Amino acid sequence: MAISTENAAAEIQGWLRENVTGGREVPPEEPLIENGVLTSLQTVELVTFLEERFDIVVEDEEFDEENFGSVEAIAGLVASKTA
Amino acid sequence: MSTHPEFALHDLLRNSVERDPAAVAIVDGSAEYTYEDLERESNSLGAALVTAGVEKGDRVGVYLEKSWEAIVSMLAASRIGAAYVNVNPLFKPPQVAYLAQDCDLRVVIGDSSRLEALEAGTVPGTAFYKGDPPREEIAKELVDLAEVLGGGAVPSAERQVSEADLGTILYTSGSTGMPKGVATSQRNIVVGAQIVSTYLENTSEDRILSALPLNFDAGMSQFTTSLRVGATLVLQRSRLPGDLTRALRRHEITGVTGVPPLWALLLRSARAIEEQPLEHLRYIANTGGRIPFANLAELKRLLTGLSGTRIYLMYGLTEAFRSTYLPPDEIDRASPESGWCIGKAIPDTEILVIDKEGKECAPGDVGELVHRGPTVAMCYWGKEEATQKAYRPNPLAPPELLDTERVVYSGDLARRDEEGYLYFIGRDDAMIKSQGYRLSPEEVENLLIGSGLVHEACAFGVEDPEVGQLVMAVVSLKDGAAEGAVDKIREHVIKNGPPYMVPKEIFVQDELPKSGTGKIDRKSISNAYANG
Repeated sequence: MAISTENAAAEIQGWLRENVTGGREVPPEEPLIENGVLTSLQTVELVTFLEERFDIVVEDEEFDEENFGSVEAIAGLVASKTA
Repeated sequence: MSTHPEFALHDLLRNSVERDPAAVAIVDGSAEYTYEDLERESNSLGAALVTAGVEKGDRVGVYLEKSWEAIVSMLAASRIGAAYVNVNPLFKPPQVAYLAQDCDLRVVIGDSSRLEALEAGTVPGTAFYKGDPPREEIAKELVDLAEVLGGGAVPSAERQVSEADLGTILYTSGSTGMPKGVATSQRNIVVGAQIVSTYLENTSEDRILSALPLNFDAGMSQFTTSLRVGATLVLQRSRLPGDLTRALRRHEITGVTGVPPLWALLLRSARAIEEQPLEHLRYIANTGGRIPFANLAELKRLLTGLSGTRIYLMYGLTEAFRSTYLPPDEIDRASPESGWCIGKAIPDTEILVIDKEGKECAPGDVGELVHRGPTVAMCYWGKEEATQKAYRPNPLAPPELLDTERVVYSGDLARRDEEGYLYFIGRDDAMIKSQGYRLSPEEVENLLIGSGLVHEACAFGVEDPEVGQLVMAVVSLKDGAAEGAVDKIREHVIKNGPPYMVPKEIFVQDELPKSGTGKIDRKSISNAYANG
């Protein structure tokens, strides 16, 4: 099932609100790794969530800051995998 | 060879600059900085700190993400006789405010985004900011760090710095509900660097990956050892598997120290490592808890087996910087059958296993691990009672020596085998070991109660192969706390505490069980949880 970048972003933002930021909305372009918003273990949890929610597999090589550096980037990865 | 005697952190720099000024000291992203750069910029910042009124012995807060500027800050403070305090970048404003007040930070060097979030007046003096100017109210004066660095200034007068001076304060979780600081002398720092670089056999050829935070003793130790031998330290912020393996390859990393969750992340790239072994990686060193044996076996197969990488198992406590290590050739002593072997004392150090009567335990008997040697830190900053409890006279010293030497009672249980190898058993208290952090349950409970919705709270650890222990909490709610209270409590904890302190689950009970003295019975609560 194809997921739009917008839908993926909304899901990711919801997960971050609930599990990471304590209710704060994370803007799509805010740096997540560089600014320390997301720890590596939280990112592992996020990947597990994404893999289950969207029925995708994130490869080890893809599991990096380039793809997980912002909500925008993560949403892009999810969209490309469900296209 | 070292030409100057090594007494203070900046002496280590002096030797490395003289050895090879053009050698790359720090790699931060795409930028490379030489030892000469480090010398020049730590002078510039040192001069600016003096101008900002930093006196000998004053505390300088460093609230920066791991970066070139964070490295320069430590050396700048050291060379003007001040003590640096690396603040965990994961700390939220309440912890920073507490810490700033606890050790009376004069000035803070920080990322603008982090400073911006602080309460007005958190910094009594100058705040040096990296990035856009933050709100004015957070400090008395604001100075752009970018204008200081590259300014070429030199501190006007050389200050005499002694190895007996306070070098840094390392903050660790405290049982009073807030972090407590381990006052660490210049001597502790320097001897620590000498000892660790000796047993890890570090040389100027090493390219060390810094994947641990600098506020953590082992993370700081990677910097000080690298500085001492004139090696290259590559600052790594992302610990995501893809980035980790890429950094190891791209920078031809020869050594990396990590905590068990880091190895779990690395092992996600097992297939990539199998296809292309990490041929430059000379050693990895673990600290901060046991690696699950299955993961250790994988690391042996993928690293030692394919690229001859040596695996060191280390044990250390912030109160004494580093304590033991198991040499790579003895790695098989750590096994499911024999237990988690932490090796023997690091050089120049003695590790005792002491029973309840203060006598040395016989081989095989479990007692408290007691550390004796030159890395024993000064005290808990401003906490006499806690200091008396952990820093005590050497129990085995002859009475003629009176109280001339303090040793550290670790609170960790250990046993020694017939050959003198030490095995880690567990904690003597309720401390939670999670993600390489030693966490006081009181600090988690304090956060939960701070939500205003919790009447009583109890936090405890539950064994977990990935992170050591997971933080769990049981709370009773205040009268009138409505539906959805747990979500609100969680929200409060996330906002006001570092991520590793957020309980995995928060359970609600009408009342929490008490012990005979009326205190919350943490043991029975955690036992009840463990038994479902």
